[in-house]
Amino acid sequence: MSQAPARSWSPLRAASAAALAAWAALFWFLLLSGRTSLYLASRTAWVVPVGAIVLTVALLGRLATLKAPRTERLPGRTVWALGFIVLPVAIVLALPPTSLGSFAASRRSLSAGFATASAIDPGDRVTLAAVAAGVWSEEARRALVDRAGSRVTFDGIVTRREGSPADEFFLTRFIVSCCVADALSVQVRVVGAPPGKFAEDQWVRVSGAFYPVGREVVVDADQVRAIPQPKDPYLNV
Amino acid sequence: MAVAEALEIRQRTRAWLGPVLVVGALAGVGLLVRTISGAGLGAVRTFLLVFGSLLVEALPFILLGAAVSAMIEVFVPASVFVRLARLPRGLQMPVAGLGGFAFPVCECGSVPVARRLLLKGLTPAAAVTFMLAAPILNPVVLVATAIAYRGRDVLWPMVIGRAVLGLVVAMAVGWVVGSRTRGELLRAGRHPEGHDHHAGPSEGRWSRYFGQLADDFTMLARYLVIGAAVAGALQTFLPQQIIGSVAATPVLDVVALMLLAAALSLCSESDAFVAASFVQFGMAAQLSFLVAGPMVDAKLIALYAGTFGRGFVRTVVLVVFAVTLAGSLWIQVAFG
Repeated sequence: MSQAPARSWSPLRAASAAALAAWAALFWFLLLSGRTSLYLASRTAWVVPVGAIVLTVALLGRLATLKAPRTERLPGRTVWALGFIVLPVAIVLALPPTSLGSFAASRRSLSAGFATASAIDPGDRVTLAAVAAGVWSEEARRALVDRAGSRVTFDGIVTRREGSPADEFFLTRFIVSCCVADALSVQVRVVGAPPGKFAEDQWVRVSGAFYPVGREVVVDADQVRAIPQPKDPYLNV
Repeated sequence: MAVAEALEIRQRTRAWLGPVLVVGALAGVGLLVRTISGAGLGAVRTFLLVFGSLLVEALPFILLGAAVSAMIEVFVPASVFVRLARLPRGLQMPVAGLGGFAFPVCECGSVPVARRLLLKGLTPAAAVTFMLAAPILNPVVLVATAIAYRGRDVLWPMVIGRAVLGLVVAMAVGWVVGSRTRGELLRAGRHPEGHDHHAGPSEGRWSRYFGQLADDFTMLARYLVIGAAVAGALQTFLPQQIIGSVAATPVLDVVALMLLAAALSLCSESDAFVAASFVQFGMAAQLSFLVAGPMVDAKLIALYAGTFGRGFVRTVVLVVFAVTLAGSLWIQVAFG
């Protein structure tokens, strides 16, 4: 009578389980810490819980089948290859919870030719999304002109351009459709800000009267104050 | 006896040395990232955020594709694919192209599935047609396209144009590579990391299933990481104003948006919302973004290079760009 071969614990399978565990941990971390909005738009945020669940199922399946009918070695090359797969996990976990900043703003301007929001309706609040629509849509720009002089409150980061007066900066916010890869910046020029008070990339809330000037929107600020980074740092349209 | 014991201790130490070094290296990278991002280097932060976002968005789809691939390997008998392979090629390609309606996978997930179909006996023409068409010709993507373009005159030309042109382009690539054998098409000597392919019939079905899943995942995730790094670098250092400057130039605008789609590496299930925002670009350029993007982008090129043999990436890029350019211009003239 032949006996079934003895099954032994496989370090090879354990290593691939460790890679799956690292990725599953990252997805659960993003979900539980609320950091999903730093990477994905609300439209695609469902990917994170789905990813966390499927990675966990794959991990549990791998853990349940760790024993092999024969001895399996773990080659050094495989360890480094699996380490490479886990590298992004280490990077994302180590990154502080910050959003895109002034460097990205200088390269991802809406003037590259993107406009995702529709014009504002009469009676609605003027938003940065409506300002974005005004960059390329004539209709949206006309809607903004009709509201010239009205009071607005915008949240965004401080960015500056070379040669700007000391009491001016650009309030910048990024618009994201799917993920940070498609982020584009919408900017308004803020005049009348306290000189030297706010650093580049600092989150601020600006209140004042707004005036569309050509393709630009100027806010004559009567109040500028520092705020913490919002939970959703990007606008989703 | 003492020598044998010493050898065993040495082997055990060696077995732990690799994993310990890797964990140490990962911790070092984590510390470095923390230090650099705290130093206010905007370019590094932008790169890392884009890199991370592409991976967070794409990785679950790689795993879902690997899950489907493993299911095909373990639960679908090879005879099914042998019977399919006997059908005339002219019939196989359109059927494979419409396979996305049955398997609604996105572009990252379709690569492991197509590889598995090839290994199980489906013809190269059909497997490649499925791989390229499924991310476009599936209900989720077409509904998302309709939602993105709702209320616009070009709604139906965009939705139907995307589906039809996507199928035509995928079949064109399938036809071009159709003369190659399976061995010529797949990358030679490519065994996934994890090496569970040794798992034989002595193991249970579920053990083989999870082994295969882990194999496909670990192999493709490696190329996805490389692709996301390339896409992140392109996005960080290539000013997008360059693309916008050719919006009003015929033909060049189409080429520009195909190149932008390749650099952005967006998921086919949400790229229509980005394409619809290119309001100053014509219909042909937007359509080319939606057709070429899910077939050729930075992360896909890395995945293709890791899965298929030499010359495959070049063939796919050339055929996809040429047929998409001609087809999208024709659709604009006919329906735009």
